[in-house]
Amino acid sequence: MSQDRIFGLQLFTAFLTCIVSLTPVFASTQVPGPRQDHAIALIGGTVHTVAGPPILGGTVLFEDGIVTAVDTDVELPAGTERIDVGHGHIYPGLIAVNTRLGLVEIRSVRATRDYSEIGEINPNVRAETAVNPDSELIPVARGNGITMAHTVPGGGLISGCSALILLDGWTPEDMTLKAPTGLHINWPSMRIDRSPSASKSEKEQKEAIAKRIDKIRDAFAEARAYMRAKEAEGEKGIGYHDTDLRWEAMTPVLRREIPVFVNANGIKQIQAAVSWANSENVKMVLVGGRDAWLVADLLKENDIPVVITGTHRLPSRRWEPHDLVYTIPAKYHEMGIRYCIGGIGDARNVPYNAASASAFGLPRAEAIKAITLYPAQILGVSDRVGSIEKGKDATLIVTDGDPLEIPTNVNMEFIQGRRVDLRSRHTQLYEKYKIKYERIRN
Amino acid sequence: MKAMSESLAMFVSCLFIFLLLTVPDLKAQTTVEPVEGLRENTPRVHALVNARIIQSPEKTIERGRIVVRDGLVESVGPKIAAPADARLWDMDGMTIYPGLLDVYCHLGLPAGSEGTNSAEATHGPKHWNSNVRPEDSALTQYNPDSKGLEKLRGLGFTAALIVPREGIFRGTSALVSLGDGKPSQELLRDRVAQHVGFGRARNSESSYPRSLMGAIALLRQTFLDAQWYEQAQEVFRSKPEGKAPPEANAALDALEDAIDRRQPVVFEVVDDLGFFRAAKLIDEFGLKGWIRGSGYEYRQLDRIKQSALPVILPLHFPEAPKVDTLEDALDVGMVELSHWESAPENPKRLCEAGVCFALTTAELKEPKEFYSKLREAVRRGLAPDKALAALTTVPAAWLGVDSMLGSIEAGKLADLVVTDGDLFADKTTIYETWVRGKRFEIKKKRELDIRGHWDIALDLPEQESWHAELALRGEPEKPSGSLAKDENEVKPEVTVFDEKKLSLIFDADVFGYEGMIRLSGVLNRETIRGVGVLPSGRRFGWTATRREKLAFETDASRDGADKDAEPAKAIFPRGAYIRASVPEQPAVVFVQGATLHTCGLSGTIEDCDMIVRKGEISKIGRNLRAPRNCVLVDARGKHVTPGIIDAHSHLATVGGVNEGAQACTAEVRIQDVIDSYDINIYRQLASGLTMTNILHGSANPIGGQNAVIKFRCGSPPAELIFEAAPPGLKFALGENVKRSNSSGSNTRYPNTRMGVEQILRDRFKAACDYRQAWHTYEASSRRSNLMPPRKDLELEALLEVIDGKRQVHCHAYRQDEILMFMRLAEEFGFKVNAFHHVLEGYKTADVMAEHNVGGSAASDWWAYKVEAYDGIPYAGALMHDAGVVVTFNSDNAELARRLNTQATKAVKYGGVDRAEALKFVTLNAAIQLGIEERVGSLEVGKDADFAVWNGPPLSTFSICEQTWVDGRKYFDRDQDRELRKQVSQERARLIQKILSAKKKDKDEDREDSKDKKENGN
Repeated sequence: MSQDRIFGLQLFTAFLTCIVSLTPVFASTQVPGPRQDHAIALIGGTVHTVAGPPILGGTVLFEDGIVTAVDTDVELPAGTERIDVGHGHIYPGLIAVNTRLGLVEIRSVRATRDYSEIGEINPNVRAETAVNPDSELIPVARGNGITMAHTVPGGGLISGCSALILLDGWTPEDMTLKAPTGLHINWPSMRIDRSPSASKSEKEQKEAIAKRIDKIRDAFAEARAYMRAKEAEGEKGIGYHDTDLRWEAMTPVLRREIPVFVNANGIKQIQAAVSWANSENVKMVLVGGRDAWLVADLLKENDIPVVITGTHRLPSRRWEPHDLVYTIPAKYHEMGIRYCIGGIGDARNVPYNAASASAFGLPRAEAIKAITLYPAQILGVSDRVGSIEKGKDATLIVTDGDPLEIPTNVNMEFIQGRRVDLRSRHTQLYEKYKIKYERIRN
Repeated sequence: MKAMSESLAMFVSCLFIFLLLTVPDLKAQTTVEPVEGLRENTPRVHALVNARIIQSPEKTIERGRIVVRDGLVESVGPKIAAPADARLWDMDGMTIYPGLLDVYCHLGLPAGSEGTNSAEATHGPKHWNSNVRPEDSALTQYNPDSKGLEKLRGLGFTAALIVPREGIFRGTSALVSLGDGKPSQELLRDRVAQHVGFGRARNSESSYPRSLMGAIALLRQTFLDAQWYEQAQEVFRSKPEGKAPPEANAALDALEDAIDRRQPVVFEVVDDLGFFRAAKLIDEFGLKGWIRGSGYEYRQLDRIKQSALPVILPLHFPEAPKVDTLEDALDVGMVELSHWESAPENPKRLCEAGVCFALTTAELKEPKEFYSKLREAVRRGLAPDKALAALTTVPAAWLGVDSMLGSIEAGKLADLVVTDGDLFADKTTIYETWVRGKRFEIKKKRELDIRGHWDIALDLPEQESWHAELALRGEPEKPSGSLAKDENEVKPEVTVFDEKKLSLIFDADVFGYEGMIRLSGVLNRETIRGVGVLPSGRRFGWTATRREKLAFETDASRDGADKDAEPAKAIFPRGAYIRASVPEQPAVVFVQGATLHTCGLSGTIEDCDMIVRKGEISKIGRNLRAPRNCVLVDARGKHVTPGIIDAHSHLATVGGVNEGAQACTAEVRIQDVIDSYDINIYRQLASGLTMTNILHGSANPIGGQNAVIKFRCGSPPAELIFEAAPPGLKFALGENVKRSNSSGSNTRYPNTRMGVEQILRDRFKAACDYRQAWHTYEASSRRSNLMPPRKDLELEALLEVIDGKRQVHCHAYRQDEILMFMRLAEEFGFKVNAFHHVLEGYKTADVMAEHNVGGSAASDWWAYKVEAYDGIPYAGALMHDAGVVVTFNSDNAELARRLNTQATKAVKYGGVDRAEALKFVTLNAAIQLGIEERVGSLEVGKDADFAVWNGPPLSTFSICEQTWVDGRKYFDRDQDRELRKQVSQERARLIQKILSAKKKDKDEDREDSKDKKENGN
């Protein structure tokens, strides 16, 4: 309770601050959390570790940003700050996969768009170099339990490399948890327009598609040639090769150190992308995958995970069942395909996309994993985040209920042990105008 | 121009009457053109004898003759004596039909975009909108090429209605004969009908209209203008002094005949819903309407029959959709599959329904497809006599030329088609087409048909005369044959020449020679005599005598309905899940044991029952007795809410929701463009929605009129519209109307929020001035001598707003514009029903509450534009707390499916009470739309629109299980599972049908090519 009061006071102070110096546009006034300089124990709530069954009345102890104990009975070191979470629930911090968070502020204003570079082959651009830590969108997402965002460039055929950022920090460097997390590709549409109004013949269309796919193939062939040439440097009779930033950026992909995220939705695209990834011997993650459930075996056989880009979409074909999109995560779960749920425009709504999957058959515990542990696994950071386990980052949220239910509030949030501000431009404006109407009423 | 063509038409009709009344004594058509060189005076008298004559669909002469004199039929009958001056044509074995009439043809008109740039269209007192060119005449542009004429004559057409191609008001059509004379000689009647379409011309200079609803608004306004024009001109003519002459307008002038029902108006439509749109306009303006149909009429047969409108029917049956691979098949929709199966049956079904229709070559890729399509329609059940009528007597009667065309009778034009059999049988060939007594040969008659069985004798040198049997079959022009004696058989290559000559070449093996033997001979009666050449070059004689002729190959099973053709039984021709009619309404429904979220004064009641009688809630309470014979809805353990109402959508429309070409388009109406087959209606029913408010987009400050619909899935558009909903109008402010976010610069006024305010003010003032003009006019005692004001649909709609007869829905983001609009409303004395989007409504909620203006927001959208940067999800709560009636809307067909949990966001952000939050998507929407007396809550006397949920309606884990509208169950999860099964079975059935049809075609092709190969050997 006393904690709440303190928090309330903090809130009020920060509130006054923001009233006084109301927001230069496009820069949030929330102050990053201070580094964890003492042990903190969250006591008494239900700990949804995600790694195992929930622990009722459990304690989570973390020191220096790392979880040091999760159990019902934890011995606390001297000087530990004890936070009684009462009937609260503790979850790992939520992860928003496949977003543009930090790379765009207002979609309709070009000056605020930093996610799509000129040209079609841009493997070398890196999301973490352009993340705006003061984006107003970040505190809004964070306020609903989103602690990390996988932020991704877009556009062209090869869009660039993504990064996993923490939604807390003074600079992009502070915020970056992992970069690059993967190379992002837009697989060309393979749909043939056979309507009478089609402007090109079927043959012309097929040729155009093949041409675009060849562009991707060529980029990979050239990158591979570059990698081999660079590797061979210094060998007998082989001199120095000048730098090519594009192909340089692709080396980790070719060495299978990071995956290729392939955006593909149609069944033909998915089939083609998988066979391409196999022939290139790269690690592939499918993004979108609207029709992927139709070729589940192919994904399973090749161990290709899917980033489901939201469940709040319409079926793409009018004859498909009305609830098809809602049921796809459950299908993957039953088929044993690795997946996570992401790709949601307004990141704060990530949990409700998972919830819809749950309403249509996905077990609730799975729905939580789909926005915590599974994204961490797909992004290759599950050793650090995604669940509440000893040795992992103390990136977690304390809620007053199931985060998949909308009325549930996030009451506390820690990112690597730093307690972060849950307020945002939205709460500020809310508080401001509450005062307006209070004054009118009085 | 008009006077001239009128007199021409008059002349032609007088001429015609004259023709009928007088004994046929006409010589060649009188022409004013001087003859160059010698005159041609070959007698134009013909006797076609020994023919089977189909005089009309009802009347056949098995063997008779037709006498043609000077382009007219002089006599026809079984035993007419051929006049001594007639040239004789032996038609033995031939069938003669009346010439066919194509009643929708673009022959001889400039293709596409060139069409609208006629001299008429660019000069003179033309209409302000280049899509309105009713004064254009197809005749003035008619310049047929001989190939095009030949093609049509080749199909047996002897006359055609030449119809202008593009635009909205396209102009008038002309009826011409398809002979090879000049248009002046071939014209039968000009200005036959006015032609109308719903799409702008491709190269239209006018940017308005861009949408289908804009086109319809333009049609309505133009018909009204034409009425006004006639009146205004009359007033001016009767007493010009003291009056400014009214605007001269060739377009409105040209529409006089159409609006006075002297001239038919033909509406070209693209589907059955388009048919309804046209029918509505025809009805509204009392037009003499015809419909150029679409081929989709079978989807709404009953209603199309009810309209009693004549239909001009194209035969463009679709090709089989591509379903060869699983992947391709996925992208083929149910409508496409079903249409493939059903389209060829469309003529038959219209026929059976008693719809009056004519057939046309319009829409075919190539005219030559005509017979394959027509014969397909016949195989699929269209009676051949009906098909013939639809090409002859029916269109002739419509056009009022049945005394001239349509049948073979004395006094009519000698328009004839000579065939070798039934026109609708597969292998029938057209040999001649006669146009006004002039014979056009389409195909040479078989002078020489050597097919049959022959005894052949070869006088080989140094051998006994060699007797064998020669069998010739195949096509008469290219027979194939076999030459057989005992065990030996060779296949000679046969060539038939004119002049009754033929040659054979065959392998000489069987005769003991090496090489080839060549025979050539001449037919005389039934004997061929000729010379042969051995491989060595030595000659010999040969003869052959025919034992029996080969009868023409006619496929008897194919001259009518194909008994094997499986009738189309598509169950989802309007698209998967879209039913053909509304579900039944049970007399009594008993909803038992629900947690009833009434959204009314009773709040939420647990274990509550509800009784519905004839679609109306009649009782709510605990432990009610189940009425007798009720339909039971067991809702124990479940939740029941009022049907969810979406206060803002752009659902179920076709042809665009923005008419953004002008800043003010209050005249356009969403109700004109409702697509009752939109699958999203079904999807949203499956999400507990029962109603939606379909709004015009936000491209201009004054958009169009909205439509509030109930999800009566299975009804046509007109019946979706909620009868109790007051009409409304969409306004929009801010970035969208300033076009701030479009690429390129904006040249349309307004460009600032200042300009937005001014243009709104100006239009409202214009409406007031308009009212003043009418008042002055109507108050005057000498009205008949006053120039009448013009009825303006745009200003009428705005006046209705000012008079409180039309609701106002205003798209707004920023607080300044919200205030501005409310002040404007105060000034002009109208009420704003709701601000939509209203992102900054939370900043002016006090003023909104004071004005009793609703706020209709998205729950949590923000930051997609600058004006959305202050959007906060607490807005709903703040407005609600300030006393504003708040709704959360969808603006999006996907989001609409989750309106129940959108409401939950008001609980999360700002702590609105759950029962109040649910009202954000039920009762409050009804209040904003002015329909709360009927819907929005579960209370006695209201409509039984409700949804059954498997859990609390605000929970993300709850699913809608049933949705009822008007006490009819439109959605049910169990039924839905059954429907899915039907959809997938139906898809499988149709795909199989396509694949087997393809295989059959392929097999037939293979047979054919095998035959050809064999013939070649």
